[in-house]
Amino acid sequence: MAVQTTTTAGTTQAAPRRLLLEVLHDWVTTVDHKKIGLMYIGYALFFLVVAGCQALLMRIQLAVPNNHFVSPQTFDSLFTMHGTTMVFFVGMPILFGFGNYLVPLMIGARDMAFPRLNAFSFWISAFGGMLLYFSYFGASGLYGAGSAPDVGWFAYAPLTAQIFSPGHSTDYWTLAILLSGIGNIGTALNIVATTICMRCPGMKLNRMPLLVWLYLVTSCLAFVTISPLTAAQIMLMLDRYVGSHFFDTQAGGSAVLWMHFFWIFGHPEVYILVLPAFAFANEIIPVFSRKAIFGYPAMVAASVGIGFISLSVWAHHMFTVGLGPGPNTFFTLATMVIAVPTGIKIFNWLATIWGGKIHFTVAMMFATGFLFQFLIAGLTGIMLSVAPFDWQLGNSYFVVAHFHYVLVGAILFMIFSAFYYWFPKMSGRMLSERLGKWHFWIFLIGFHLTFDFMHVPGLLGMPRRIYTYEADRGWMIWNMIVSSGAVFQAVATLLFVYNMVWSYFKGPIAGPDPWDAWTLEWSTASPPPAYNFAEVPTVESRRPLWDIKHPEDPDSRYE
Amino acid sequence: MHDDATHGQGNSVLLPRPTAWPMALALGLSLIFAGMVTNVAVAALGLAMTLAACVGWFRQVLPHEAHVPVAVIAEEVEIASARTLIQRPQRSASAAPRKVLPVETFLIGNGIRGGIAGGLAMTVPAGIFSVLKYHSFWYAINLLAAGGFVDWASASNAFLCQFHLQGLLAALVIHGLTSLLVGLLYGAMLPMFPRYPIVTAGFMAPLLMTGIMFSALNILSPILNQRIDWPWFILSQIAFGLVCGYVVNLHAKVRTPQFQALSFAERAGLHSNLVELDGSQADPSQTGVQRGTQPGTKNGDKEDGAL
Repeated sequence: MAVQTTTTAGTTQAAPRRLLLEVLHDWVTTVDHKKIGLMYIGYALFFLVVAGCQALLMRIQLAVPNNHFVSPQTFDSLFTMHGTTMVFFVGMPILFGFGNYLVPLMIGARDMAFPRLNAFSFWISAFGGMLLYFSYFGASGLYGAGSAPDVGWFAYAPLTAQIFSPGHSTDYWTLAILLSGIGNIGTALNIVATTICMRCPGMKLNRMPLLVWLYLVTSCLAFVTISPLTAAQIMLMLDRYVGSHFFDTQAGGSAVLWMHFFWIFGHPEVYILVLPAFAFANEIIPVFSRKAIFGYPAMVAASVGIGFISLSVWAHHMFTVGLGPGPNTFFTLATMVIAVPTGIKIFNWLATIWGGKIHFTVAMMFATGFLFQFLIAGLTGIMLSVAPFDWQLGNSYFVVAHFHYVLVGAILFMIFSAFYYWFPKMSGRMLSERLGKWHFWIFLIGFHLTFDFMHVPGLLGMPRRIYTYEADRGWMIWNMIVSSGAVFQAVATLLFVYNMVWSYFKGPIAGPDPWDAWTLEWSTASPPPAYNFAEVPTVESRRPLWDIKHPEDPDSRYE
Repeated sequence: MHDDATHGQGNSVLLPRPTAWPMALALGLSLIFAGMVTNVAVAALGLAMTLAACVGWFRQVLPHEAHVPVAVIAEEVEIASARTLIQRPQRSASAAPRKVLPVETFLIGNGIRGGIAGGLAMTVPAGIFSVLKYHSFWYAINLLAAGGFVDWASASNAFLCQFHLQGLLAALVIHGLTSLLVGLLYGAMLPMFPRYPIVTAGFMAPLLMTGIMFSALNILSPILNQRIDWPWFILSQIAFGLVCGYVVNLHAKVRTPQFQALSFAERAGLHSNLVELDGSQADPSQTGVQRGTQPGTKNGDKEDGAL
């Protein structure tokens, strides 16, 4: 066994018990990237539960034909709030939360480049979420009975026009997303600046952990894509407040213009969400396969390639608009081309696992599930990229099944994997593997019951956002299976929450490096001290901890 | 920007001072926004809060960034692997314990040169087909341009047999870019299949490429797909493959940085310790790609608690 001891810092004495107000003051005034990351994650988990409950309500409504469990108006609000919450107030915050926590630790920095901007970015995103949900009370005016936004998460014009969407519900949606956008740009700026400027000695770009590379690409994508969304939101506010006509088709405006603005954000947004999931896979799969990542340069190139290509595929969401043969061909091709760098990634992950000594911890189990499910999600994506196929199935439950396969089957699975992998670092305690395995298997069954079978009613012609349906359509059995799968997922998620709470107080002590891993965050105490590293580390390869553990055979000899 | 190299007095580290002003600014801005959908008084409160927060924040960073010293308490963190190393008796003591791939490859420029040469060669059978079958050199060019001008796929033969400047330019761009990219692919992939370069470059790759093109075009543009004469297309692809492969293989391979990881004796060609999967000695004349490494040891962990 190769052993080397290094010295870092940590608190060895038990801290005295503090008053609740002191604790609250600490969290409100903190500019520490780790605490801000944890706040991002906590706030996203809260909204995950909220949006999950909304999904359950929708599935109850759709489980049987001619159901009136909720009103049509409530159903409209439910799918709008579910989509908006999941994308803007669960997906982005949880991924930026992990980025906030991990990027400085992985590059050997003491904090983000702009710690105060970091705190501001978190708080403004959080207030955006609160404003969105305040719409339930104030959407028709502070003194009236309110209602939440109900225009769908992509809020197509002209439905958002004042005449079709009176009151303030759509304004709440617009303003909440504007606030969230400011926060996301701030965090993206911070991640880019931190990555470029604050790497520890020896950490060249070609030695940077792949997670950091992926967050760099994600942040650059956020710069490019959130700006048009913000512009569109301002234009919509102008339409609704001062009578401009950007999207007013009756007065020379263009509804298709909104679609372009929205989807030039909306599709790269999928990659903003999935690239951090790739980032987690890049760290977790090698550690539990006991092999270095296969094809590091190719993985970096593929990530950057995905970043660029993802900016040229947005109009595949608009095939049914009637774009014409030229744009149809271009966007079909561009969408197919993105499968190339994505395929490189999948092959490289498989090559990493191949011949490795695989440890099926819960983190690795979720990562394995991610690999298979992301492949299937990609294949249905290729099917939908073909314009004539999309004309048949656009706006159907097939599309809903496809993107949930990406969002749940790939992204959420990797988020769970990341929790099991980094929870020991964040809390100092291990999550229960036994409960974790229950969580994995129940969630896996629920996921496949829901989203495998959701393709079928789509193929049978069931449109998305439909409130209810007649019994003679033949959709009932499929919807019943889909809804029953949602119950499995809810139970599994509750198990996960219980596991986190129980393990936080009672879990076994993790120690600094419970997984025998190779990146810098595992070289400091768990949880890390405020300053991360007592001495700024120096690295000589992509796996600095491997080098320390195996001085007789360091990676630096080969890179 | 926060300077993370700042050190405090003695055994302490300077970190940014905690502050509530960022939260206050975020709340102020949110209230301004909320005022638009509630009451102007909410927006006014937000504006006041925003101004106060801006002043407070500026005072945190101007004229100097506020820091707070945090005491560093030394604690030993053991960085060690609990796993034992696999014993590999077949290795000599001086040998590098693992191998990395590849040790030799082609320069990028070779791929580009091969692509250009192959692209020129491909025009010969394409031109012959066009002249023989449609009595016009421009037919093949305009058919290629239909990849860019989608409605040309359904244009008449007479139209495609005429000269169109934009068609020529579009075809040049499509053909040029594709040839360069495929040339690069040849440069990257040929070292991986060194045994039968003519079969690989001249026949296998063109047939594979034709299969992909046929399948994709059948979905993307069935009309264009029907107009393509596939036997002649295959002939053009083989012309490309043979010439491109020949040009790429003309040039000597260069050693990658991984070559430096080999021992001096191996670099000098005096000795090979490269082990095949079954443990037998590999042929030292083969490229690095063929000099296989054992699964589970390449670039990786040779640890195994069971051994």
